[in-house]
Amino acid sequence: MTTLIVIDQPPYGSWTGREALDMTFSLAAFDQPAAMLFLGAGVNWLCKGQAADAVGQKSVEKNLAAAALFGVEQILVDSRACAKYGLETSDLLPGTTAAESISETLGQYSRVVFAG
Amino acid sequence: MPQPLSYTLVITGAPWATQAPQTALSFAQALLKAGHRIDRVFLYGDGVHLASALSAPPSDEQHWPRLWSEFLSGNNITAVACIASALRRGIVDKTEQARYELTASNLRAPFEIAGLGEWVEGNLKSNRVLYFHGAH
Repeated sequence: MTTLIVIDQPPYGSWTGREALDMTFSLAAFDQPAAMLFLGAGVNWLCKGQAADAVGQKSVEKNLAAAALFGVEQILVDSRACAKYGLETSDLLPGTTAAESISETLGQYSRVVFAG
Repeated sequence: MPQPLSYTLVITGAPWATQAPQTALSFAQALLKAGHRIDRVFLYGDGVHLASALSAPPSDEQHWPRLWSEFLSGNNITAVACIASALRRGIVDKTEQARYELTASNLRAPFEIAGLGEWVEGNLKSNRVLYFHGAH
């Protein structure tokens, strides 16, 4: 049964998304199927070319790039939020899938975990 | 009575910053009263502050770490604070104190420190996994 981890917080300014990512990797490490959905301000996680060192942090881009390697099944991204933040498909990391209807997406999973 | 279910409760909101530990405690008490079982309580993120033995709120306020540990001990429920979350936030047991050569340890019994594997196991074994967040 695939667990959907939902990140709706921006990548910098809050630690909750990073801890949700750790949960995702932990599921994958124990061979449990996991997928991710980036919603609202969370879509900024998927932006290419993040300069996190400018704010003294590690870029989340590298962590996310490892997701497929760890066996994360799918990285879904909220299309409407992308439009709101001015992100085109070409601005996003490769390997993401657009989700048009969030309620439909959430409805497909019986285990959903929102980042705290 | 409906079929009893087993639960894993995940608390990510800190006491006195959020209502998460309070809401989770009321929910946990109601679960047992209704005949359900709690497999495990897992503290994650800021929720690990609930496992501090050093919280000392004013005496006319509720003491959430103490109330939770009494509930856990009284009902023989396993409670785990995530090691990565705990170490970042200064919640350590004697083993971690020695490993990182820290000046003190402050983990409140009966909480234990362990990895996210405990949470994964909760996902596999419990009928339901519920989250008590601070912000949502």
